[in-house]
Amino acid sequence: MKKHPMLKYLKETGPQGDRLPLIMCPGCGSGQVLNAILHAVDRLIEEDGIRKENFVFITGVGCSARLTSHYLNFDSGWTIHGRTLAIATGALLANPDLRIIVITGDGDTGAIGGNHFIHACRRNLDLTIVCLNNGLYGMTGGQVAPTTIPGVATTTTPYGNTEEEFDLCRLAEASGATFTARWTTAHPHQTMRTVMKGVRKKGAAFIEVLSQCPVHKKASPTDMLKALKKNTKRIKSGETAPGDKIPIGEFCNIDKPEWIQSYQRVIDQFAETD
Amino acid sequence: MNKLHINPKYCKGCLICVEMCPKKALEPSEKMNAKGYILPRDKDMSLCNGCKMCEVMCPDFAIAIETEED
Repeated sequence: MKKHPMLKYLKETGPQGDRLPLIMCPGCGSGQVLNAILHAVDRLIEEDGIRKENFVFITGVGCSARLTSHYLNFDSGWTIHGRTLAIATGALLANPDLRIIVITGDGDTGAIGGNHFIHACRRNLDLTIVCLNNGLYGMTGGQVAPTTIPGVATTTTPYGNTEEEFDLCRLAEASGATFTARWTTAHPHQTMRTVMKGVRKKGAAFIEVLSQCPVHKKASPTDMLKALKKNTKRIKSGETAPGDKIPIGEFCNIDKPEWIQSYQRVIDQFAETD
Repeated sequence: MNKLHINPKYCKGCLICVEMCPKKALEPSEKMNAKGYILPRDKDMSLCNGCKMCEVMCPDFAIAIETEED
């Protein structure tokens, strides 16, 4: 029987037995994002000649973080909640040749990890941050998150959310990230190409992927995918989307010196005077 | 004609492949796997054009399309 082409990047068995099928709920969007990221990594290894050993995946805690838990056949880190970017910063500074892909969720980045997020973007570190946004706290039972749209019912807002939501892409851009984009799980090819661009980009690349949680939203995954396609509109940078639709596409792509380059310049400048 | 391969151990019956196939070549079967998930099957593989959208969309890495080039 022919196997899925991306299974070569996963560990299917281990000392405790079978690792697959994935622990995710049926129809969860996180498996689709992992699929798109692995397709992107496959193309980068083939087209750019990056060695497989140079890819590192870092995740925090939550449903998005289970993707690296024990499935990936790459060097990876399953770290503490919200401190994903702090640990990714350490990994990058220890070995600047690594291509680090950080996979987080909207709670891990926008809620508990908010402070590390704005400073990682401010420092313009050479990371690729893929944020899976399902608009709630999945693993803990579907509670309201800073990215929940006003009016939506969740486990802790049964009468509808009363707060405004974060726009994580604008937050990243305002903090200093040099590449921001947003796609959904209904756009896997676009997500794959944007992840490739993010890894090739020298600087902080923030890619938000709107993803479905069929269990806490009590809807079928196919209905949620169709709604994601219907309620989003692709825009070019500078345009605005019509009021009721969520803008998706690549937003900002600027060139600024990345953290290690700025630091190296200081080292070089004072090395001559010693 | 392209051939469909579904791994009954990994598939969780979300049926995203059935819904997202642009040629509507797949359908849900009457068969359940050991965990009770409804597996997809090929409705008419002569419609399949080898775009592999199902492979890129699958959350569980349970589907593969074998084209003549493979």
